[in-house]
Parts: sequence; C-alpha cells; structure tokens
Amino acid sequence: MNRTRIIFFVIIGLAIVIVAGGLIWSQVNKQPDPLAPEANDETLEVQVVSALPVADWVQGAAHQFNAEGHTLEGRPIQVTVTPMDGLTAKGRYERDELDPLPTAWIPDSRYLVELVNAAYKERLGRDVFLTDGEYRARPLAISLLSWGIYDSRAGVLEEQYDEISWQTIHDAAIAPGGWGELGGENDWGYFKLAISNPRKNISGLAAMVAAAGEYYGRTNISVEDVTDPEFQAWLGEIMSSMSDLSGGTYTVSDLALFGYTTGDAGQLLESDLLVNMQGIQTRWADPLRLVYPEYVTWFDFPFTVWMGPETSAAEKNAALEFERYLLSEEVQRQALAYGLRPANPEVPVTGEDSLFDQWASQGVLGVVPRTTAMRSPDRDVLQALLRWFDLNVAGR
Amino acid sequence: MAQRQARMSGSSKRSTDSGVRTVLIVLLVLLFLMIGLCCGTYMLLSRLFDGGEEPILSVPEAALTVTYSPEKELVFRELVDRFNGQGQETPEGQRVTVEAVPLDPEAMVNAVLDGGATFQAMTPDSSIWLGQLDGAWYDKAGSEAVGETARYAVSPVVIAMWEGLAREMGWPNQPISWQDLLDRAQADPDFRWSHPSTSSASGLLATLAEFYAGAGKTRGLTIEDVTAQETLDYVAALEKTVRYYGEGDEPAIIERALLEGRDFLDAFVVQEQMVTHFNTHRGGGQERLIAIHPAEGALWEDHPLALLETGDLTPLQRQTFARFRDYLLSPEAQQLVLSHGYRPADLSIPLDGPASPLTAQNGVDPSEPNTSLQIPNASIIEVVRDVWWYTKRHTNVYLVVDTSGSMRDEKLAQAQEALRIFLDQIKGEQERVGLVKFASRVNTVVTLDELGRSRTALELAVDGLQAEGDTALLDAVFVAQQQLKELGDTERINAVVVMTDGRENNSWIDLRNLVQELRKDSGVPVVVFAIAYGQDADMEVLRIIAESTGGQVHEGDVETIEDLYKILSTYF
Repeated sequence: MNRTRIIFFVIIGLAIVIVAGGLIWSQVNKQPDPLAPEANDETLEVQVVSALPVADWVQGAAHQFNAEGHTLEGRPIQVTVTPMDGLTAKGRYERDELDPLPTAWIPDSRYLVELVNAAYKERLGRDVFLTDGEYRARPLAISLLSWGIYDSRAGVLEEQYDEISWQTIHDAAIAPGGWGELGGENDWGYFKLAISNPRKNISGLAAMVAAAGEYYGRTNISVEDVTDPEFQAWLGEIMSSMSDLSGGTYTVSDLALFGYTTGDAGQLLESDLLVNMQGIQTRWADPLRLVYPEYVTWFDFPFTVWMGPETSAAEKNAALEFERYLLSEEVQRQALAYGLRPANPEVPVTGEDSLFDQWASQGVLGVVPRTTAMRSPDRDVLQALLRWFDLNVAGR
Repeated sequence: MAQRQARMSGSSKRSTDSGVRTVLIVLLVLLFLMIGLCCGTYMLLSRLFDGGEEPILSVPEAALTVTYSPEKELVFRELVDRFNGQGQETPEGQRVTVEAVPLDPEAMVNAVLDGGATFQAMTPDSSIWLGQLDGAWYDKAGSEAVGETARYAVSPVVIAMWEGLAREMGWPNQPISWQDLLDRAQADPDFRWSHPSTSSASGLLATLAEFYAGAGKTRGLTIEDVTAQETLDYVAALEKTVRYYGEGDEPAIIERALLEGRDFLDAFVVQEQMVTHFNTHRGGGQERLIAIHPAEGALWEDHPLALLETGDLTPLQRQTFARFRDYLLSPEAQQLVLSHGYRPADLSIPLDGPASPLTAQNGVDPSEPNTSLQIPNASIIEVVRDVWWYTKRHTNVYLVVDTSGSMRDEKLAQAQEALRIFLDQIKGEQERVGLVKFASRVNTVVTLDELGRSRTALELAVDGLQAEGDTALLDAVFVAQQQLKELGDTERINAVVVMTDGRENNSWIDLRNLVQELRKDSGVPVVVFAIAYGQDADMEVLRIIAESTGGQVHEGDVETIEDLYKILSTYF
C-alpha cells in the first residue's frame, strides 16, 4: 500500500471519527427545553379543575408545588390547573364534556359535588366522588356571600331602612323615583343591583336562594317555595334592578370596573369583594362597604378526587399529595391574600397579608356574627329558579 | 551526467511531493465536504424524525385569528403588533401569533351564526353582541357560543359636544339629557348631530337611550314600551334631526371634526376615548369637545375579548388565546390602553395619574358617569333594532353608477354585486332609492321610489348594467342632485352615492358650475358620497364634489367595493 493510499484512509478514518464524535457529543449534551412538557413517562400528571374564586390561589400553589419537585414513590408530580365556574364544570361533568377527565375538581361548594354524584348515580349506579374515607371531599378554603355596597349608597339606605337586607334592596329597587326618592342624589339614577348572572356564575344562583331564605325566614327552600307566585313577584321586582339583562356574567370585577355606574349594591362573594377593594378605591373615590346578611350562604371549595377508572390509583394519590400541600399552613396563609378564609383551623384569619385586617374599617369581620347558614338546595329547586330566571328576567 | 541525474532526481522528487500535496488538498476538501454532508444529513434526519426543536418541513404556528371592531383599529393593531413582536413560542417550538381582522360587530355575529366565521375569537365594541350571539346560538345549537371572556379596556358612550354649545346647554353646572338634545334640535333648524347606525355599539346604545327617553324610563324597558306610539313618535322626532348615520367609524368622524371643526356637526355620539383623542390632537385655538354623559344614564363600550366555542378550536389556539389575554392585561398593555384614552381594566392604574389623558383639560371627567341605563335582554334589543328602521330619519338616495367602457368585465361585475349588497342592507321598505347610470350620456334608470315598490326594478336594472362609452360624471351628479332638490323633501336625508372609475370627459356642466349648484341654498340639502373605484378615478374632482356638500370620498377597488357599499348603506 503506497503512502498516498495510507494518507487517504487515515483522512477517511479521521472524518468518520470526527462525525461520530460530533453526533455523540450532540446527543450527550442535548439540553432539555425548560418550557417543554415533562417527557418523563414516570411523571404523574394531576389535572385540577378549579372554581374561579380560588383559581388564582390554587394556580399559584401549583406553580410552587411543581417547582419544589414533589414526588410519589419516586415519581415526580406535575399539577396543572384549569379555572372553571362551578356551575359550568357541573354541566360539563354531567354531559361528559370533560376530556380528559380531571384528576380532581375544586367546585365552589360541596353541594355541586352532590349534584354531580346524583347525576352519575342515575347513570352508573355509583358515586364518582367520595363523601367519606381517604378520598373524601375536603374543604380547602371558605368564603360566603356578603353585601358589597358603595359607602355613599350604604349611608342613604341605612338612614332610610336601618339595615341592609333583601327586603331593603327590594324596597330600594321598586322606588319609582330612584335614589332621589330614597334620600340620595338624583343623578345616581335608579337603584342598581349587582348580582352575577345565575346562568353563568354559581354565586348568582346562590344569591337567589339566599333571597328566598330571607323571604321565608328559613334555611331550607323547596320547589314549592320558589314557584310561589307571590315570591316570584317579589324576586322579580328585585331582579328588575339588575343593570344588565343582556346575558353578561356580571362579577365583582364588573362592579369594580364600572363602579356605582352599573351597580350600587349586591350580594357577592366576600373573597371577590376583598380582592377588589383596593381597585375600587383607586378607580372610584367612593369605597365599598361590606355588610353580612342574616341568612348566610357559605362556599367551602372542597378538593374532590375523581374515583372513576379513567385515572390511575397513582394519579389519585398524587392528587391527594397536592391536596395536603394546599392544606399546609404556609399555603393556607397565602389564601388570606386572596380574601379567602383558611380551612385549616391552625391558620388565623388575621395576620400579615390578611385582607380581613386591611379592610376591617370597611366592615370586614374575621368572625361572622350570625350563624343562620342556608342549607344546600336540591337540584329541582335550582332548576326551577333557573327556569324562572330564563323566562322572566333573561327573556329566553 | 551525475549532476544531470541528480537534478532529474530532485525534479522527480519535487514532482512527487507536489502530487502528494495536491492529493492531500483534495482529500482535505473532501473531508470537509463529507463532514458537512454528514452533519447536514444528521440535522435533517433529526428534525424530521426526532421531533427536533425547529422542524424544517413544516412550522405550524399557534395562530389565533381575532376579529375586532374597527373603531379601535389604532390601539388594537398596536397591541397585536407588540404581542407578535415578542416572538413567543410554545414549548414545542411553534410560533405564537395573533392575526387581527377588522369586522363590524353585527357582521361578526352573523358570520358565527352562518357558520362562515374564519376567526376563533372576537373583540366587538360591546358585550351586547356577545349576548345577542349567545341567545341566537342557544336557540340554534342548545349551547352557548361564547367561551372565556376578558375585558381589557372600557369607555362610556357619550355625546361629544363643542364646548361653546355645551356651556349654552348648561354644562358643567347642570346635566344634559336626551330631551335637551331633542329640544335644541327642534328649536334650531341649523343644529346638526349624528349617531351611528345600530350595527355598532355606540349607535345601538344611543338608539336604546332614545327609546328609554321616549318611554320615560331608565330601566324595565318592555316590548310594549318600545312599540308604543308615543315612544315611536318621540324617537322619530329625535331621529328627524339626525344629519346622517354612519357605520360607527369613529376615527373618521374625529378626523373630520379635526378638519372642519363645528362646521362638521354640532354634536355626535362616540365613546369617551374619541373625545380624548380629539382634544389631544386638536390644533391650537381649535374649540374643545366635551364628553357629555346623558342625564338619563350612560352605557358602556366594554370591548370584551371572547373565545368562541363554536368550531374546532385547537389546543394551541386555546393556548394562544390565554397568552394574548394575559398580554392584554399586562401592565405594559394596560398603560398603552390608557395612553389611547380608554379606561384600562387594571384597577391599580389611577385614571387621574400624571400619565392619564382622561382629564378635564381633555373634556372628560373620570368620576363620571354616575348612573347607567339598564341594558335590556336580547329579545328587547332585537325589537329596538327592528323598530328603529321605522323611526329613523328616512332617506332619498340616488345611486349614480359609472357604466363607461373602462368598467368592462370584472369591474362592472363587482360593482353590480356591491350594488345588490347595498340594496340588501337597507332593510327599511320606506327608504327611497333611485338609480342613475352614466357613460357618454346620463340615464335615470329607476326613478326614486320607496324600496317596498322599487326593489325588484332596481335589482333588475342593476343586473342589466352594461359598460360602454365615455364618462359624463359631472352631468350625472347634477341630474341626481337636481331630482332630489326638485322633490323638495326636507324630512328625509337626501343623498347621492356616486361611483366612477375614470375621469370626466363628456359633461355639459363644468366642475365650477356643478359645485355652485351643489352649494346653492335650495332649502333641500343634498349630501354626496363618492367612491373612487380603482386607480384611474379622478380623486381630486370627487373630493371637491363631496366636500362641497359635507360628504365624503372613499377609495375602493374590485376587492373592496362590496364592503364600501355595505358601509355606505349604514349611512341611510
């Protein structure tokens, strides 16, 4: 073999070594994209559908949880949170529209879980969410419906009626001369009720049930109660003071964004009101005052694990890991910044970042003085109210 | 000899060395080529089969098409450009982009209901449209069409009024109501005001406010209220004082107000943001506009961004929606929104801060409005829109169409389609429409008559248009305006919509005399709207004609002519 040939083969060999080395190097040093979804097959994915009032808090906790690298039997847990109104989620569960099925659901209230369970029991003959045992629904945080009313308007109503109640709201709503007749300014126009659309937000529906509670002076409301023509006429007069009947949702964000222009007072979720107090003060010179109603509707935001075969046992247990994390003292304390009352009794309502302390001067109370809690209405009561709303208010 | 051999041997060695060097160089080149080839092949294969970070055969974008109402063109385009400029990518390396398409809100709703929507999200000027869409979709499909919704900017609908006039009417010491506006308009025949047609939120909300005022209510409007004769009389009286309607092109109205000042209109309905825009752009010495919140109550344009759950949304489009929504609510975007004169959704941004244009100097008071009118349910809104066609100021309009030889083929075909759309858009059968065609001569093809009687004749006449001859543009405008003046109908809006693709070359009347005729005070004001169709149209002549009557010129081509006629139909 002459020298030229030797050199030729040496160079070819060198080329092969360089290329092979390059390929090996690029494989060894391949950097994973930090934003790419976890490719590890061992990862336990926990999909959580969360009610809107707690969604920001739960999402924040999920980011922390993921960043801290929690594992179950050596497998990393990855939590993703999808915000969804409780009523919407209930409908999607019942219509099988959730695909894939979430590992866990945090509805606004325990009774939504019961309604979904009842629907599945009819079809499958079993519960899909458990009410006892390790996987039972556990409250994560607590809030309630309270009156939110602009200070200027609250003073006028208290002067006129002594208290803020559904009956007061009713009388203000039907005053033909509007605020001028009630003792307020003429240019405030008529009284405007701030309440969520019950078709789009569970708190709107709960407020209607609470109104029925006060009307009848009891906590247990039946279909006969809500279909009584006298009650419907009374409720109709209240609802006629809603400022938007065109089908919009109307939330506390709207009350804050449009101010007393579109809503003077309303029964809304305390946590939502607390979160928006500062914004309202910045945007509208008139601050908001909180008043607690006699008939209280509580929301407990239970963490509820799906028990069907669509999720594995390991995923269910990973969901429980996240639930325990949410109930830890540190994460429960973070809930205060979202206007939520911690479910963990070890965590006080007061303290650093507590909106309850910050807005105590506006009527916010750490301990709610009245204990007449509305009982969860059954499905027929809710449907009767929604039908009445569709026909008489929404014009459907 | 030995020396010679040595020289030869040396020469041979040099020759051998030179050959080796050549081979080496060739081999080195080959080496680099092979390395390059191998690396290239590796990269290609890895991207094709290995799910590489940037697939090169196809780069699917996580593109979301969002349709927006045109009055927020300036701010929305800037928001979209800035969002796209961030170059966001999904974890899989797909570009996240938003494509913005303008469409008037009524057309958005219709496109979704007809199944012809090419967009996955919409941002109309008001949530009213979402309610309308949801209601109709519920009837059709038993579910709701509107998914996740977010607001990023709001602005109340106001009556924009020149400061001098506002002070005459009592501002700032006493509130001004719709009734005050009616009284003023009826007492002063020279008073000119305008609101858009009901196909935009400001027009719809202004119309609702009129019906409320007519019914003597600020809430609880019923169908009986809307259709009561007293209400209809009230609204009709107020509408008779409207100079002309429009498609809600608020920037165009402000542009004209900047150019013409009070000669343009005394008052007009726009969102508050436009008043701010005018006052920050007005020339030195030009009178301010004041944002008047009607005493009966205001209504808001709330510019919702809504995801549509009607089609096959991809997960990527959902992701893009979420990112775009987050961007719109980011501090940077919210400051931009405020700088354009909107009230941002972020409540931590004070409206009276140093960066806010919402100041008394700019004619607005951020602590207002004090109250609002109740927005009725979708079925009552629908009735208001229908009834408005009967109460609105009616129109005598001549369509003047160029049929000269240059209009042959596609140009004429597109114009014919545009004319059909124009006729289709005018729902009121009491509106009077006539058709004049011109080429070498002027021919009144269909005399002015109510659409209830003339619609078929007009449609047939449009179908029968043929292109041939010269361009007697000036004569045609003269004939049309003369017929309107001879009619002597001061109750209605009298208008000419003239379209030409060329230059005047065959008229008896010259431009100077035509303008004199148009300006002549005959007691019947005729407004001319002109369409310059294609690049050869004489824009300058059309501008002079239109502006001498307080009208407008629009430029169009075969692509846009249908939209132009559709827009102009909303003026009547």
